Amino acid sequence: MDTTAQVTEAQTQWIIRLLNFWRIFSRNRIGLAGLAMLILLIFVAVFAPLIAPYDSSSSASVKIGDVYNPPSSSHWFGTDDAGQDVFSNFVFGSRVSLTVGFFAAFISIIIGGSLGLVAGFFGGRMENFLMRFTDIMLVIPDLPLMVVIVALTKPSLLNIIFVIGLLGWTTTARVVRSQTLAVKSRKFVLRARAVGAGKRHIISRHILPLVMPILVVQAVLVVSLAILNESALSFLGLGDPTALSWGQMLNYAFSRGAMSIGAWWALFVPGFGIVWVVLGLTLLGQGLEQILNPRLDTHHLMPGRPIVRGDAGEASEKNSLLEVRNLSINYVNNGKPPARAVENISFSLKEGELIGLVGESGCGKTTLMLALLRLLPSAGQIVNGRVIFNGKDLTTLSEEEINVVRWKDISIVFQGAMNALNPVRTVGEQIAEAITKHLPGFPRDQRLQERVIELLDLVGIAADHKDHFPHQYSGGMRQRAMIAMALACNPQVIIADEPTTALDVMIQAQILELLDSLRKKLGLAIIFVTHDLGVVAEMCDRVLVMYGGVTAEYADVDIIYNDARHPYTQELLKAFPDLTKPKKKLSSIPGYPPRLDALPVGCRFAPRCPQAFERCHREQPILHKLNNPQSAAHIASCHLLEASK
Amino acid sequence: MSKDHFLEVRGLKKYFEADRPSIFTREARHVHAVDGVDFNLRHSEVIALVGESGCGKSTLALLLMGLEEPTAGTISFEGRDITHLNDNERKSLRRKIQMVFQDPYESLNPTQTIEEIINEPLLVHGIGADKTERDGRVKKAMEDSGLKPAEVYLKRFPHELSGGQRQRVVIASALVLEPEILLADEPVSMLDVSIRAEIINLLAELRITRQIAVIFITHDLGSVGFFADRVAVMYLGRIVEIGTMLEVLEKPQHPYTKALISVIPVPNPRLRRERIILQGETPNPIDVPQGCRFHPRCPLVMATCKASDPPFVTLSKTHQAACLLLVK
Repeated sequence: MDTTAQVTEAQTQWIIRLLNFWRIFSRNRIGLAGLAMLILLIFVAVFAPLIAPYDSSSSASVKIGDVYNPPSSSHWFGTDDAGQDVFSNFVFGSRVSLTVGFFAAFISIIIGGSLGLVAGFFGGRMENFLMRFTDIMLVIPDLPLMVVIVALTKPSLLNIIFVIGLLGWTTTARVVRSQTLAVKSRKFVLRARAVGAGKRHIISRHILPLVMPILVVQAVLVVSLAILNESALSFLGLGDPTALSWGQMLNYAFSRGAMSIGAWWALFVPGFGIVWVVLGLTLLGQGLEQILNPRLDTHHLMPGRPIVRGDAGEASEKNSLLEVRNLSINYVNNGKPPARAVENISFSLKEGELIGLVGESGCGKTTLMLALLRLLPSAGQIVNGRVIFNGKDLTTLSEEEINVVRWKDISIVFQGAMNALNPVRTVGEQIAEAITKHLPGFPRDQRLQERVIELLDLVGIAADHKDHFPHQYSGGMRQRAMIAMALACNPQVIIADEPTTALDVMIQAQILELLDSLRKKLGLAIIFVTHDLGVVAEMCDRVLVMYGGVTAEYADVDIIYNDARHPYTQELLKAFPDLTKPKKKLSSIPGYPPRLDALPVGCRFAPRCPQAFERCHREQPILHKLNNPQSAAHIASCHLLEASK
Repeated sequence: MSKDHFLEVRGLKKYFEADRPSIFTREARHVHAVDGVDFNLRHSEVIALVGESGCGKSTLALLLMGLEEPTAGTISFEGRDITHLNDNERKSLRRKIQMVFQDPYESLNPTQTIEEIINEPLLVHGIGADKTERDGRVKKAMEDSGLKPAEVYLKRFPHELSGGQRQRVVIASALVLEPEILLADEPVSMLDVSIRAEIINLLAELRITRQIAVIFITHDLGSVGFFADRVAVMYLGRIVEIGTMLEVLEKPQHPYTKALISVIPVPNPRLRRERIILQGETPNPIDVPQGCRFHPRCPLVMATCKASDPPFVTLSKTHQAACLLLVK
């Protein structure tokens, strides 16, 4: 009773997953086209006797005059050297090609898949042995070997299937092994081991489900390869004479004078069949790959969307270096209303100032920074606001003009320095490249090397590390190298996007100290993006706290930490461990930040706010300017502040 | 079995081979990941292991979990030596000692539903007579981990949950086995600050409601207050200071501990303090410095530090530190 219930539940799970997959697949045009081509051909093969106008096996009625007749009403695609109907042969030939293709591929996939899985999972000597064996198989040219083997054995369909199947597994084994290795090193496999799971359990529950997608794509390609191999063997006259395949049709036409007579149809029709099936399978494979490996589809460099002009008001502070006014950014969402990622953000930055931009993941802080330099992904769009840098509005510049500003005037230090450096080039080369790319007139001689050394020295890296590769650097040194690259063109503003998040506290302290000293030494203005309120308290002048894409609070640093007015800022500070009171229980903010596609109607913080009242759920609060004698500008968006205004 | 001998670690070492001996070098060089660690864990105690990356704290966790074989030393649990076990013994021990990993994005299989993930340990160990009993345990583990109501989450996939929720799933899948020790390897370092407090409070609650002992591994001394009973500071494969939470946070004795505490960000600009920023990074554990292993970075280094390895100096019944400055 119990087991049957379980089985049916598992089955429904599978059906749901298949339906989900189909829903996604049906939107992929390439894959659908391939699938349609394949289904049409399978239909032809299955219903061959009904579709073919003539029975290909009987040649009783053939007359001498029927040989190589051109296409006519009785023979749509003419007749062949034996006077048989080419179209009928084509229809029956599809059966042979598909049978050989599918069965041979099945053998290849089973062998390649299991060898790859075993080699990848168990590693060690087993892997060495299996992979060297695979390598040997891979360097032996398939086709000549097949020719030899098929020539030595009786030419039957079964033999051909086995020969193609037994020789076609090598690429599958390699692909599956590398995928297995990748999956095996993932943390959830280690977690499964920690839970106590055995090898068999880990393979079937954790490795196989993640290898399967790749295996499916691979299988589609192996089928097409098997069909091509069968055609080649048959074309060489090694096919099963009792089962007429497309390859054999080509062979007969070729060897029996179709070319000299000009009977193109005898060659064209089987050739078309081979192209059709291989093209269909390739398209299907490509479509599947796009779905199962979505990374292929993202990060295409596309031109940015046009900027929508709106009323953003005039600049308020005359002497600011960078001023952002009422900037709003949407993400366009296929068919659905756009996601309002950033709304109405304003702040300003003077020379040598450091502003902290604080918010949880998904609050729009990275989107905001990318928008400043107009580096948004293709779905992102600036829908309102201005970015005024040195009196120029960056949102009105052309792509060429903004390119001059990027890096030379405003540069970025990204999070995760390991991924941002090229692993195969030395750090010195990469810094030199950053200089020459943005300053094309820079002399490429000794002066360039001196500049690289000067930059490294500025960030505290000894000159002898110049010719080292990124992997020889520690995490902290890589982040220093990234800062050196950002400094390459003497920018006035540096955007530091979570530069210390992945680093240990001690290294974090080193990097913060470095940024602070650079600011003093070079008069740099810095925008420091972080989720950690504690980090910015140490060194910034002003803090902008963002929540769900909007400004929660913006004020001088001392106000934020000692006189915060927005409940979110207050709660965030409480969640921070205070070393001076180690016994105090940490308070946490219940719930999670809103998703951009499901923003609450009223205040975006209302669902988590301990002080929320009815109005908060109904109406989005405006930005209130608070008169605070200690702070130049103190802005907070909360209904509670209406009275105190 | 006394209360003190719940989990006992003695002289634990783990060396990894850095490169194999070749015709040019006679001896293989080794990474001294864990190089002589001793400590006890009491029943339902929370101990925090603190150190920078490369100090060996994660290797230590893998050794305690039996996911790596130690080079030397012993681990005993409830008076029984568990250093080397066969597969069956190891498997049954896993019901007692469970682990929570650092990265909740990576430590869940993306193709499994939350129910499958939390139910998996029960299937692996063959726990629960029927589905009803297993469902009950899954539900209890989820609700104890703050995934309430459990029904909402059962059929979801990891990518549909936030970072904090995923970490709760990881914790629930450890709790479902009803372990006595939970090893938490940097469980909050990948999470936003506002979520961190939540996960730490959850772990603190579990030790009270389920009497679970917790080994909390972190690089951030700031996050261990309130929650840890004792703190052990690791440097380059060894514990350099160990004491109660208040002793270590308020009266640190080792120069390394003092520096680590001084760089913890204080969320108040009025309390900006003098920070002791150690230059450079933890040395390569292949070439461990002679004498005190901290001497190349120590701001208080003396001539003798280069020559002799400092012994553990007992400062109080519970507080010990390894520094020559403390030797009288």
